[in-house]
Amino acid sequence: MGYRSLWILLGLALALGVAWVLWPTEPTPIEGRVSPAEALSGDAEGFLRADGPRELSFPEDHGPHPGYRTEWWYYTGNVETAEGRRFGYQFTIFRNQLTPPDTAAAEEARTSDWATNQLFLAHLAVGDVENEQHYGAERFSRGAAGLAGAQSPPFRVWLEDWTMAAVDGADATPMRLTAHDDDFGLDLTVDPLKPKVLHGDRGYDPKGADPGNASYYVTFSRMATEGTLTINGEAFDVTGESWMDHEWSTSALMEGQVGWDWFSVQLDNGYDLMYYELREEDGSRSPYTSGTVVDPEGNTVSLAEGDGVLEVLDRWTSPHTGGTYPVRWRLQIPKADLDLEITSVFPDQEMNVSTSYYEGAIDVAGQHAGVEVQGRGFVEMTGYAEDAGQPRF
Amino acid sequence: MIASLWRSSLRYLWSHPWLFGLSVVGVAMGVAMVVSIDLANVSAQEAFELSAETVTGRATHQVRGAGDGLDEAVYRQLRIDHGVRPAAPVVEGYATVPDAGRTFQVLGIDPIAEGPFRAYASQDAGIELDVFMARGQTALIAEPVAEALSRAPGDTLQVRVGGRDRALIIAGLLAADDERSRQALESVMVVDISTAQELFEMRGRLSRVDLIVETDAERDRIEGLLPESARLDRSEARTETVEQMTRAFELNLQALSLLALVVGMFLIYNTMTFSVIQRRPLIGRLRALGVTRREIWRLILGEALLIGALGTVVGLALGLVLAQGLVVLVTQTINDLYYVLTVRELTIDAWTLTKGALLGLGATLLATVWPAREATNAPASTVLQRSAAETSTREAAPRLALGGVFLGLLGGGLLLIPGDSIALSYAALFLLIIGFSLLIPLVITGMATGLRPVMDRLFGLIGRMAARGVVTTLSRTAVAIAALVVAVAATVGVGIMIDSFRGTVEVWLEGQLQADVYVQPPSLVFRQADATLDAGVVATFRAAEGVRDAHTVRSVHVETNHGRSELVAIEFGPSTEDAYRIKEGDASVWDRLGSEPVVIVSEPYAYRHDVEVGDTIEIQTDEGRAPFEVGAVYFDYASDLGVITIGRPVYNQYFEDDAVSGLALYTAEGQPVEGLVERLRRQVPDGQEVIIRSNQGLREASLEVFDRTFTVTVVLRLLAVLVAFVGVLSALMALQLERSRELAVLRANGMTPRQLWQYVTSQTGVMGLMAGVLAVPLGLILATVLVYVINRRSFGWTLQFNVTPEILLQAVGLALVAALLAGLYPSYKMAQANPADALREE
Repeated sequence: MGYRSLWILLGLALALGVAWVLWPTEPTPIEGRVSPAEALSGDAEGFLRADGPRELSFPEDHGPHPGYRTEWWYYTGNVETAEGRRFGYQFTIFRNQLTPPDTAAAEEARTSDWATNQLFLAHLAVGDVENEQHYGAERFSRGAAGLAGAQSPPFRVWLEDWTMAAVDGADATPMRLTAHDDDFGLDLTVDPLKPKVLHGDRGYDPKGADPGNASYYVTFSRMATEGTLTINGEAFDVTGESWMDHEWSTSALMEGQVGWDWFSVQLDNGYDLMYYELREEDGSRSPYTSGTVVDPEGNTVSLAEGDGVLEVLDRWTSPHTGGTYPVRWRLQIPKADLDLEITSVFPDQEMNVSTSYYEGAIDVAGQHAGVEVQGRGFVEMTGYAEDAGQPRF
Repeated sequence: MIASLWRSSLRYLWSHPWLFGLSVVGVAMGVAMVVSIDLANVSAQEAFELSAETVTGRATHQVRGAGDGLDEAVYRQLRIDHGVRPAAPVVEGYATVPDAGRTFQVLGIDPIAEGPFRAYASQDAGIELDVFMARGQTALIAEPVAEALSRAPGDTLQVRVGGRDRALIIAGLLAADDERSRQALESVMVVDISTAQELFEMRGRLSRVDLIVETDAERDRIEGLLPESARLDRSEARTETVEQMTRAFELNLQALSLLALVVGMFLIYNTMTFSVIQRRPLIGRLRALGVTRREIWRLILGEALLIGALGTVVGLALGLVLAQGLVVLVTQTINDLYYVLTVRELTIDAWTLTKGALLGLGATLLATVWPAREATNAPASTVLQRSAAETSTREAAPRLALGGVFLGLLGGGLLLIPGDSIALSYAALFLLIIGFSLLIPLVITGMATGLRPVMDRLFGLIGRMAARGVVTTLSRTAVAIAALVVAVAATVGVGIMIDSFRGTVEVWLEGQLQADVYVQPPSLVFRQADATLDAGVVATFRAAEGVRDAHTVRSVHVETNHGRSELVAIEFGPSTEDAYRIKEGDASVWDRLGSEPVVIVSEPYAYRHDVEVGDTIEIQTDEGRAPFEVGAVYFDYASDLGVITIGRPVYNQYFEDDAVSGLALYTAEGQPVEGLVERLRRQVPDGQEVIIRSNQGLREASLEVFDRTFTVTVVLRLLAVLVAFVGVLSALMALQLERSRELAVLRANGMTPRQLWQYVTSQTGVMGLMAGVLAVPLGLILATVLVYVINRRSFGWTLQFNVTPEILLQAVGLALVAALLAGLYPSYKMAQANPADALREE
């Protein structure tokens, strides 16, 4: 190899080197994580506690209860089109108070409209029974600057453009629910068919032995529902029945409790049923089981520890989270002369957002006082999925 | 054969270490200056881009308001009512952390909305809302920053915004995923949007709303949704505008650094010419022995390449060192004049280094072409005769001069081309320099003839010989002198430019500062009033005892049809009219300013945007986009970005803003100004630090900043002086060393060491003097171009040409001293040497 070719090679190598160094590269976005200040996170100290029955007054108590750490307005329902195509829906707005109210002095010094310790989140889901498709979405917002909030009267709870509000300002009901995500949404009017139910003792519903481990719990157990569901651009005019829960508390779960199984049922004989069990870490049932039976006129019977027997008949493992959920049960409540078989309308009604839980439409069939009954309702199960951890609400 | 040629070449260089070394130094310094300025510029740009990218994130568009922020209702309307998503509100500003001794870019965000834009500031990055958002007055800072400050989450961080002290709690630390992000995040402080509104007193207002807009249709839809007072911009357009601010400044620095390289080229040229001429006998012999022209050509270029390569390597290393210092100066100037910028580290840009290396090697080769041709073109027989070269140079002098005149005219012609190209202006400037240096051989021949009788009278025969010697060795002296002239002239030109500028500013300040006392909040950029005075301060001071009259100034940034600009609203005081010197337009404008939609614009504004009296500027106001007539153009040297000035009453009609950026006070009759300043200082209400300065104090502070902004230029000028000095030293020293044989003959013929000393120093002295004298006209030409063309084209202002005799004397003195110093070593060496040995050499 002559000198000339050596030079050419060297030159080429140099040129390549220069080109390599100078070749424009797409800058990567600025990325980073936040290592948080855990020491600063507070506990339940300083929040108001649900520590005993109190006289609730409406419509004010339909509104928010700042000072309590957690509050939610929870709508679930079974609806269908005129042709009988069936859907389930869930629309919930949670209020989360991030710091105790005794920091109010510090808050008052703040001038920005954006300053707040209220975090709102909302969950929206529609279950398309025919296609066994479950659509879910979640939104967050601070409860300030007009972005999210709750009030009554007039009743209005909203997170950006997802709203639950009194149709007519003067009365809390009927209510209109409006929420649309990219692929699906709903616009429904719900009107109570029975008076509101105050669970437990005038709405005070203990969840554990410690005083204060309880919530205030108000329900509309049967609401006539009418409106439109939208899925992937297709609108469905629907009618059906909904259930609404409004609950506020500071600490509902006790140490060692990992989740709950909660049922709402509307029977075709006019009776409604709410029943829940809390589960312990070892999978066993907590003694704090509770429920309410509502007769067609709206009279209630409270269920207490040991009043119900819930037996799991079938289970389903979620392909999304690996959590194994019960999907078929037998629920016996001798005190109310109820013996019901409950089935998830379709198995995959798991809600996968920042936490994972199960929120599904159910079919109910069985006996009430010896008479065949049927019904529909909703089941909510938390604490089954591995990554779910402690639910935030 | 080739190998032995190379060995001879190397041995030659080795046996002339001074010459060799100084040439390498010459190249090295030229390269070092270019590289260091470029690195400093690139680092500043990179730091800016990084910070822009950090706060812009993935936003493609931004919604901004008129004047000082955007009504936060616009965010709600866009996001909630019209479903424009993703959208994120931002309140931003700057805060100084006294403990860190530096300024941070404060990014006020809603972590919930941040995800699509700036992942590091979002809920998903791990921000604990219960601390960060709910507690408020909290901040996230980068891990290394916390480490440097020995702070941990939960600790308090004192920050200072617009003269107000605030305490923030560190709510968490930003950990970067990669090196670039680490750099980016080190200058940022992330706070909740509520905290930011409180820090910057922007209740109800946002700095902007960030959007990601994918299609033109979506953009058009959003534009249609915005209220009159808001507008939608591309995010990059913002960054580009800011980057443009410093472009002229950076370009000028670059050009000045190139000047050093040109001087370096002269040095190389000098060295190579010298080495070729000295080796003419050798080259002649080689040619006679059959070495081809091509081989000689390669040999000379090879030598040059060796010098160039060594010089370049040393220069790159030196440049890196120099850049560490220069980047601080460049950053300081940008902070004084344009915007807040923190440059945490030098960006070692591969392209800059490549450019430096190519320039170093290229300049060396370019400077060698002529001497190499000289050596290879001559026929073998005449190459042996040294005198041939001298004769040909002397004969060539008029031809060179003609070429010089031609280049000079070309340069002058380029300057006459209308337009505002700064690069073209500098090209013309370099043509003028080269043209002038081509005149030098002819001019010094004439000068030497003229000097001979003078030297004769002063030093007798030796003086006459010294003067004559300059011409007899013209091929070398001319280059040496030319190098010296260019180097010294560069320092003269830049010196006069700075003096003219400072003089102009001094006179302008004298007129501008009509009030007796000035009050303003501390501002991060000296030339921009970016903070507001507390209303309490304004009220207290207006009513203070001893204050006869007062007027306020409000400065905001607005969008106009010419882009973003500073808008200054002035209240009319007793001497407002005297404070403004009108360049175009007449005094009737003052009556109209108070009531009509009329503005006056500064000279740089008019120049930058090509605006004349009678034109209309459209300004985005809270009432929508409104037209304002340009009533006059006034002289202003505060901002090269240009300023629009409006009457406060008219401003209030268009903007919902009652804030005040500054206050000018007039003392009552017979009140001493200093007394009032003292009294006011005692009356400052708690909460805000304000700066209270007398007329005199503000003038001094302004000039101090002026001087600071010219530090880089002054440093460059000093470096040019240094290069010039090295140049003279190497050129003249080489010249004298090369004459060892001639001097030995003189010694052998009875010249005493003392006479020899006299002979050598008077000859270098003559050359220094010639160079110094010739540097004056070239320096004046350079200054004229810098003052009237380049400054005007770069910054748009008219400067008063201001020449002080000191600068000119300095130039002559510099050349003379350098030349005399250069004579010391050779004459000492020759005086010591045994003439016989010297004669035997070679």
